[in-house]
Amino acid sequence: MLKSLDLQDLKSKLYQAIDNRVRIITAGLNIRELRNVLRGDPPEEKPNPRYKVHTTSFLFHIRPRYYEKASTIFTHTFRLGFFSMFFFVVEAITGIILMIYYSPVPSEAYQSILNLESNVPFGKLIRDLHRLGAEAMVIFVFLHMVRTFITGSYKKERSFTWFTGVLLLGVTLFLSFFGYLLPWDQLAYWAVTIGTGMAEAAPLFGREANLLLRGGPDIGANGLLRAYLLHVVLLPAVAVLLISIHYYKVSREHGISLPAKYEEGDVSPEEKKNARQRIDFIPDLLSHEVFLTSVGIFALVASVIVFGYSAPLENIANPQVTPLDTKAPWYFWWLQGLLKLGDKTLMGVILPTLVVALLIAIPYIDRNPYRSLYKRPVAVGIGILSLLVLVVLSYMGTPLYGIETPAATRIVQDLAPEEGVGPLRQVPFDQLQPGTYEVKETVPRDLCPNLDFGCPALTSVFAEYSRRVNRAINDTSLPKIQRLPNGQAFLIIEDWQTDLRKVTFRILWDDPDTQQRKTYERHIFLHRLRGNE
Amino acid sequence: MSRVQLEISLGILFVALTSALLIWYGLNEPKRMAEYELHQRAKAIEVGAELYDINCKGCHGPQGEGVVGLWPPLNDRHFFTNRLTEVGWSGTLEDYIISTVSSGRLVSTRPDLYPGQGRPVMPAWAERYGGPLRDDQIRNLAAFILNWKDTAPDRTAQMAEMAGPPTGTDINKQLPEGDPVRGQGLAAAKGCAVCHISAPTGPAWLATPDQPGIATRAEEILTDPNYTGNAKTAAQYLHESIVLPNVYIVPGFQAGVMPANYGDTLTDQELADIIAYLLTLK
Repeated sequence: MLKSLDLQDLKSKLYQAIDNRVRIITAGLNIRELRNVLRGDPPEEKPNPRYKVHTTSFLFHIRPRYYEKASTIFTHTFRLGFFSMFFFVVEAITGIILMIYYSPVPSEAYQSILNLESNVPFGKLIRDLHRLGAEAMVIFVFLHMVRTFITGSYKKERSFTWFTGVLLLGVTLFLSFFGYLLPWDQLAYWAVTIGTGMAEAAPLFGREANLLLRGGPDIGANGLLRAYLLHVVLLPAVAVLLISIHYYKVSREHGISLPAKYEEGDVSPEEKKNARQRIDFIPDLLSHEVFLTSVGIFALVASVIVFGYSAPLENIANPQVTPLDTKAPWYFWWLQGLLKLGDKTLMGVILPTLVVALLIAIPYIDRNPYRSLYKRPVAVGIGILSLLVLVVLSYMGTPLYGIETPAATRIVQDLAPEEGVGPLRQVPFDQLQPGTYEVKETVPRDLCPNLDFGCPALTSVFAEYSRRVNRAINDTSLPKIQRLPNGQAFLIIEDWQTDLRKVTFRILWDDPDTQQRKTYERHIFLHRLRGNE
Repeated sequence: MSRVQLEISLGILFVALTSALLIWYGLNEPKRMAEYELHQRAKAIEVGAELYDINCKGCHGPQGEGVVGLWPPLNDRHFFTNRLTEVGWSGTLEDYIISTVSSGRLVSTRPDLYPGQGRPVMPAWAERYGGPLRDDQIRNLAAFILNWKDTAPDRTAQMAEMAGPPTGTDINKQLPEGDPVRGQGLAAAKGCAVCHISAPTGPAWLATPDQPGIATRAEEILTDPNYTGNAKTAAQYLHESIVLPNVYIVPGFQAGVMPANYGDTLTDQELADIIAYLLTLK
């Protein structure tokens, strides 16, 4: 019996069995072939077993068998489409984890975020990654569109792909926008209130659109649930569908565009042929994608852990208190800028709709057959001009532009913003020496000579306070709203409780309109352990 | 080295770096989470302080000192040590605060000491009972009130130590010599500035750019034909305003706002000190 068990025989049988398994798992590659793939060596068998994978494996059948060489030049695509998809996957994975801990009810939502960040190991990291990934996805999808425009890759057979791309940009923005509301903090609440408020300006069905989005006149439990369901069910489903169509077109119909010069430029036939050389998906493109993925994940994780990116979380949403500097998410600042220019319906709804329609129609309006930058100066000129307009409008959308805040309110808000940190909250607790400090013509060099460690941080805040107040008192060239005639200003610090101090800003001035004495006062409570993230 | 090999090697390097970062982050997680909780607690106290300032200090005093004979103190040793047994509460003090603030109180549990004003003696503050505050705000308020725990003075003992018999309400009574410095301290300790606030740098009895100090104002009122009280001098006017606040109401103010029981809680000497202090404010 034992003699019949030939060792050689067993070894080869075992090898064959393993080989067989590997072939099944890799959908056609055996061990040797797998090794060759990893080493970047050419295939050994004929026909090329690596192509077979694309027919037998579901995941690989979506991917093309090869790209044309010139389309993989880094500076042609910058891998923007790949990274758009990468961030979508990152969002999906981190999003599913967040869903475990989140509860879409106003009374619980904020608390569930606090709980996630203070009681769930890696919870804050996941939220930071999700937020950072969302911002990055908006940027990459937008840049992907800009790249497609610049290389003229939206033309002819790619016009429908461009159309799905424009829709995907919209889906990305809305995904991000409705996700914005979910932490249920002041930032989220008011940004989304502004955003959904625009829907109200729509002609004919504005009121209904607004009600449908918010689930009531104001955002409440209904609005939050709607935003949540849009964010985790409807919009992702639409995104998956559109991405599938978008990618199917790219992989099965027209491929990634070649740089224009290989199609219409003055290059030798040799070069043209070279440009169309096939680069196989396995192993070259696959290893490249795995590499890009590892870079992407590292960049995300390092941004959070090394560079300290932290997803913002302000105070819990308070429908009764509108914070002073309310703004939409940054990718909608341009829309806010437009709104400052004129009528709500025209600027907030009709014009943006036209912009989207125009974007979709670009391939049909632009009949210029050439793709090279130099052969379509008009399109490129309009593109650059649109980018500039977008930047200017975005600037106008921020509170820096066109919003007049009375001097006293502005000064105190800049020193101790209602939301966020600001200079006052960065003063170490021990430097907040109790006392009443009045703003005088000259700024004291040291506010607290009695503290042996001094209070440079408090002194610098007080110096800034004095400088701003004195300017508002003395500079008669300022507009009326920014002046404080006969101004008097105090900074009062009181010991309030164990480890708690109360800081009061009090400013008095003669109101130029009514000639009456007016007072502005703000109390800020600071705890020793507040932490400033 | 082929491109594929290079990319695989670099990829492995990045994965290793990422893993190292994650491990390092993971090791710091317990510390970070503990700190985060402390920060949250601190922020809750800050927010609670703000809410207290807006909603509660009118009755319970800016420092939780309460008003004798009307509203109970919260910054009080008794509150932290005996209150729960006194009312037979089975939960924690935090639960007790949250419950009381949320649903208010229809009648006083100590009507002889703190009858309150009107009914209910304490209004309900939670939104679901018709009040203005959300549950999270009430939790923050409780965090602020509980932060008095370590420093709360024993106010019952302080009251028992009243230095003499109450002064009564006779404004013609001969008061002893007052000390303005002690008077200033008393004005702060008795919580007068809880209600008397408006001047830019402090209590309402100080001089402001718009009007002189309370001593001069008292003189002016005596010459006013609409004055309905019985005082003949500024000192008597101040005496009257403290122990019998409703005899004459300055135009623009409401009757019955100032507690009318200071005759029962101040001694002759204390009253004299406060008047002496106020008379220095021209």
